[in-house]
Amino acid sequence: MNRLTVRAAHLYDEMFFQFQTTYEMDAITKDTEAAKPFTFKEFGDALLEFFSSLKLAIFLMITLAILSTVGTVIQQGERPEVYIKEYGESAYWWFVKLGFIDIYHTWYFSTILVLLCINSLTCFNQRFPAIWRSIRQDKVNVTAQFIQNLKRSATVDLAAERGTVTEDIALAFAERGYRVLVNKGDAETTLYATKGIMGRIAAHVAHLSVTVIVIGGILGNVIGFRDFGVCLEGETYHIPQGNFDLHVDKFWIDYYDNGAVKSYNSTLTVIENGESKLTKTITVNDPLVYKGIWFYQSSYGDSWDRVEKARVVVRDKTTDKVVGEAILDWKKEAVLKDLGLKLLLTDFVADFGFDAKDRRVYSKTVEHENPAIKLAITEREQTLTAPWIFYNYPDLFDIQGSKYKFELTGYLAKKFTGLQIAKDPGVLLVWIGSTLLVVGVTLSAVIYHRRVWAKVVPGRQGVTVYVGGTAYKGQIDFDREFDRFTERLKARGNYTV
Amino acid sequence: MFRSLFLFDVTFWLYLAAMGLYFGYIIASRKALQPAVAGHPAGTTAEEGSWADTLGLLATWVTFFGLIVNGMALGTRAYERMQISGTFAPWSNQFEAMAYVSFAIIAGYLLLELKYGIKAIGAFVVSIGFIAMGAASLLPYRYQTAEPLVPALNSYWIYIHVSITLTSYAAFAMAGGLGVMYLLKERAERRGMAATSVYATFPSLEKIDELGYKAIMVGFPLLAFGTILGAMWANYAWGGYWSWDPKETWALIVWLIYGAYIHARMNRGWEGHRAAVYQIFGLLMVVFCFWGVNFLLSGLHAYA
Repeated sequence: MNRLTVRAAHLYDEMFFQFQTTYEMDAITKDTEAAKPFTFKEFGDALLEFFSSLKLAIFLMITLAILSTVGTVIQQGERPEVYIKEYGESAYWWFVKLGFIDIYHTWYFSTILVLLCINSLTCFNQRFPAIWRSIRQDKVNVTAQFIQNLKRSATVDLAAERGTVTEDIALAFAERGYRVLVNKGDAETTLYATKGIMGRIAAHVAHLSVTVIVIGGILGNVIGFRDFGVCLEGETYHIPQGNFDLHVDKFWIDYYDNGAVKSYNSTLTVIENGESKLTKTITVNDPLVYKGIWFYQSSYGDSWDRVEKARVVVRDKTTDKVVGEAILDWKKEAVLKDLGLKLLLTDFVADFGFDAKDRRVYSKTVEHENPAIKLAITEREQTLTAPWIFYNYPDLFDIQGSKYKFELTGYLAKKFTGLQIAKDPGVLLVWIGSTLLVVGVTLSAVIYHRRVWAKVVPGRQGVTVYVGGTAYKGQIDFDREFDRFTERLKARGNYTV
Repeated sequence: MFRSLFLFDVTFWLYLAAMGLYFGYIIASRKALQPAVAGHPAGTTAEEGSWADTLGLLATWVTFFGLIVNGMALGTRAYERMQISGTFAPWSNQFEAMAYVSFAIIAGYLLLELKYGIKAIGAFVVSIGFIAMGAASLLPYRYQTAEPLVPALNSYWIYIHVSITLTSYAAFAMAGGLGVMYLLKERAERRGMAATSVYATFPSLEKIDELGYKAIMVGFPLLAFGTILGAMWANYAWGGYWSWDPKETWALIVWLIYGAYIHARMNRGWEGHRAAVYQIFGLLMVVFCFWGVNFLLSGLHAYA
């Protein structure tokens, strides 16, 4: 309650100090709560006051900062093994329970964001009208007591006429860009000068922008999508979200002279209803956009289910001597006439795995850990079985009915281009909100709201000037301005600040 | 091959000298002030031609010269980058970024001195600029050279996103330096030695506090702008404007921390001591965002 008495003078000016005195007002509301029965309106006001309070704003921002920190310290969206290896089994159990492995999408993280929106919106609702009103109807008439109680004030006796002094003061502030209002009474004149209300308005623009950004984010999450596509040169892919097809014409990498990668490039063509609509070469910083769907050059790598070429060495079973070699193209029959062989490369897996249930061969990972090709062998016009030949384990299986052994000694993997495919209809709102945020925050940081009152009354020498003022922010600059003004006022003759 | 490295070296030594001169200035000012009348405003009684004045003047000029050399070093580096990869942003790796931050800190400080004429602040703020430059020169040589940009960085966004974000770091660094200064002055006042000891030339607590706040009011919008530019870049390069990558998350964390500070200041209790402590805490968070994230956390920003 101490602060309340100290600040009593400021409370007098409730219209402007409302923002700063939230706590004091809170205290008053609480006192009356116990005494009187609660009306619905009072409850509503208390609720609004709570949601618009500074305390809540600070609490929410700090909480959001702490939760975000947790999300950067603990890796997000990893496989369970990664967490168990680093933190142990029980810690992982807690992480899952608390949502720490995907903290930015937990209910409590979203709740904090929504509360932050409610907080800034109610703040706007509670405080903005007063600021807006003050643009038109400011408090001009104040008492000398009020002026003396302001943060900065001075009293100067001057041997001059009221009219000239008033005019000089008005001019001095007008020259500094203040808006000056003069109220001339019978015995005394009151001046009011103000500048920089824009800064206060800008702060509220920034408050509103937070909600705009969050709505944009939600919109993107709800009706947008983000996919990842592994695409091969020469293939066409259907994009169901846009009902068109995407043909990958080419993928290649450019290098600097020193061998470092300069850029990854994919040439893509959009095909709609059988017609080519658009061809573009995308790079990491230059996506293709069609019908609101963005295609990004995201990654590349060696394909895990096909190769361009494979080299197969043929040995004689009995002598173990190399009798022939063939470079096989993908799914193209190669003929080795003198051996009476026809070879066809039909399949490839990068990391051999066998699904016993479906009796199916598949690649366990995308890494080239245990590469193998399936080779259809025709020997002397007789079709033999098509065995899997392993790069790491030559000579694993004996091929029945054949004179030869086959070894996979090398292959050229087919490169894939990794495309990120995304549509985000909320992005425009996010940019609008961001622009408002930057403009609002910048203006409110640069423009300080300042108000000065002066009262010219008859005095001993001629007139006495009571002058005082406050700055909402940027006290140090205001102090300098105010000091310079009062010094010159005292020196007389030159009022120009 | 890298002429800029020599200039960065010279910058380092000039900032070291400037820092020493500013400390010399506040120590010399103490002597000049000792016979001063009690209660006389600080900083106005230094005798003409005294050591303090000479040192103060020298400090300012050496700092200014350091800034020029720092600028030349960055300019030379920009030219070298142009030769190597056709992009010139002289803040394309950790070393260059730190050299740029020290440039921004020193430039900011000189503007402050020009406007308010308080040299004692130099001892703290120039020190931080020097530390940034010093830490940069401690990086291994392979971090200091200008390697060609990786594809993700090869974009015009690097010019504006990186420079603006780094400038905001510089502003927060200044606020942190002022926070340290505030606490020292406050302690001196508590012990009753504020007028006679080296603290004599320090501005009033209120002024230090207000300047710290102003520095944050410069950094806060810049960080917002820089982060949003980063989001726009990400929307072109990474397939989405926000991916919760550690670096962008930390930029958000830092921004929220200062946002809380700005809101807390609406209430009187958060001026002065608490604000000074918070400014130092904020600076530590910025240092983590700038350094810690690159070296300790993995993510999309791991370019250095």
